[in-house]
Amino acid sequence: MHEDLLAAMRQSIADGDQDAATATANQAIEVGLDPLVAIDEGYVPGLSYVGSCFSSGEMFLPDMMLAARAMNAAMAVLKPELAKRSQQRSVRGRVVIGTVKGDIHEIGKNLVGTMLSASGFEVVDLGVDVAPERFVDAARENNADIVGVSALLTTTMTGQRTVVESLAAAGLRPGVKVIVGGAPVTRAWAAEIGADGYSEDAVGAVALATKLMEGAAGAAQG
Amino acid sequence: MRDARVGGSPFARLSPEQCARVHEAAVGILERTGARLMEPRAVEILRHAGARTDGDHVWIPRELVDRALATAPRSITLHDRTGAPAMELAGRTFWAGPGSDCLHVLDHRTGVRRTPTLDDLREGIALVDALPELDFIMSLFIPGEVDGRLADRWQMEAMLNGTTKPVVMVSYEPSGMEDAIAMAEVVAGGPEAFGARPFVATYINVTRALLQGRSELQKLLWLAERGYPFLWIPVTSGGTTGPVTVGGTLALNQAGVLIGIVLSQLVREGAPIVVPGFGGDGLDLRTMVDPYAAPDARGPAGALAHWYGLPMFSLAGGSDGKVVDEQSAAEAALTLLVDAASGGQLTHDCGYLESGLTGSLAQMAICDEIVSWIRAATRPIDVSDEALALADVDALGIEGSFLETDHTLDRYMERWYPALFDRGSFESWQGHGATTLAQRAGERVDALLAAHEPMPLQPDVAAAVHEIVERAAEAAGL
Repeated sequence: MHEDLLAAMRQSIADGDQDAATATANQAIEVGLDPLVAIDEGYVPGLSYVGSCFSSGEMFLPDMMLAARAMNAAMAVLKPELAKRSQQRSVRGRVVIGTVKGDIHEIGKNLVGTMLSASGFEVVDLGVDVAPERFVDAARENNADIVGVSALLTTTMTGQRTVVESLAAAGLRPGVKVIVGGAPVTRAWAAEIGADGYSEDAVGAVALATKLMEGAAGAAQG
Repeated sequence: MRDARVGGSPFARLSPEQCARVHEAAVGILERTGARLMEPRAVEILRHAGARTDGDHVWIPRELVDRALATAPRSITLHDRTGAPAMELAGRTFWAGPGSDCLHVLDHRTGVRRTPTLDDLREGIALVDALPELDFIMSLFIPGEVDGRLADRWQMEAMLNGTTKPVVMVSYEPSGMEDAIAMAEVVAGGPEAFGARPFVATYINVTRALLQGRSELQKLLWLAERGYPFLWIPVTSGGTTGPVTVGGTLALNQAGVLIGIVLSQLVREGAPIVVPGFGGDGLDLRTMVDPYAAPDARGPAGALAHWYGLPMFSLAGGSDGKVVDEQSAAEAALTLLVDAASGGQLTHDCGYLESGLTGSLAQMAICDEIVSWIRAATRPIDVSDEALALADVDALGIEGSFLETDHTLDRYMERWYPALFDRGSFESWQGHGATTLAQRAGERVDALLAAHEPMPLQPDVAAAVHEIVERAAEAAGL
């Protein structure tokens, strides 16, 4: 059922075609396709495809931005329909992100935010130059599963350690996971400061966040 | 001082008309879009001078730019640690040195990429001191065993102790810069002596052309007030923080450069500001890496700096490769050659691998050889009577040998001879172990380090310098 439509949805995201994404979303409503099916079997696989092409070097960052934009266009059509049906897209996790204190670089962080929310995470973006206490407060207020801490400079990345420590001091660890990123950040650094993960790019960040959520679910069940 | 002139016709990637166009675009950006300056004093200085402001948002009128360009110095001389003039940043010259703050060292003895130590830092500085073609020092590595907040002080102390070459200094917070300059003043024999013969230039990276951070602006104001030389280098990345085209990013970046020029000249007319000889670069949108050896933006920023006639700081000699290999040598050679031919003046980042994240001493030695080659390839040609040796030609006639003439014996060393590149016969190369360039570079590093003893600071001066590090540690509660 609706296989052609779902394929067109996937294709619209792969092409980064906003108009096609909007049109297929409208079509879904017309033919009575469950919006959750449209999202999970139509658009999201398209986004995953773009993500994997980016990771393998076949696609470029602008391709990914276009895909995320097309995703948002489809969501703009489908959200009212979800509300009408009293349905909710399942939230894959709540993530608080920000750039560390003393650092006002934001492009990498924004990119991670875009990819996470396009992939179904709820993202609270604290912006740049964020003090450790604000990460702690926001994590608590938003009942965050994950805190993402960005730093571009070798001189500010030490602030990532401070955020990990502050969350621990506030009693939020290890329940709240911490992921770190930024040009100078490495896996070894993430391990050294006791973060739960690191990713080189925004696509990896989605995979990492997904893995951490699965781990958390496993832990809760276990 | 080395004769660092570049001869022949200038290589200029932009014509004067194109430079004027980029300048006009930058001025227009400052008038229309303006910038956010996160240091209130900078905003106040501009407002007082007639700029329109709204909170931290500043629009800079053309008159302020014109006035500042009229007083910004066209030449800056950096001295060495002993107070002798070492580099004049002016005209079509080419001075080469390393980069700063690598997070990793590729150990040429083991082939392992690891966290650098203070010993790596000291070795690297001694190597740069010994390498004949490198003109200045930067901090090379962040030593892993010291507290990250104070690494800049440790680096400065190591540079002051380990070389007499001029220093391009990077610090974190303004307090780190003040400590580093205080150390330099101690070495020079006081602030007055340092101001008269500065041997340290402070490198200030600016977050974005139109978004300038607080500590960056504080450093500019502090240095301009004292008339100490500094490098004002906004970072605009095509495709993310700037237009994806080289020209677009160059023009936007130039708006950020002009802000620094205006501010510095308002604080002190003639304040010695050095502008970027690189700009218009872009993030690699496939890998998200900030490449150091991309070809696209090679040259235009340098052409623009020459068009203004302002002293410049260039970027070449670094590689995006991970090891010392064909790629690292090719990228170092190509980037250094273009920047030298452009007259890139103060040119940093020799020895960088992995897009500036890893440093290698073997790569540094290869860069020294490349710089040596390029200098021989761009040096002005002597066509004086003496050089043409017409008298010898007449005397020796059609079939004479020039091998034993006084002219040959006097001047044969003017020709370039390699220190690392192999020119021997096949048998000779084989007999010497059939080595690669990277192997010979590693051997040269070890030989130089074994033989070279940098000129030490006087013990009381070294102690006074160290005291500044200790005081900073105490203030940080360490």
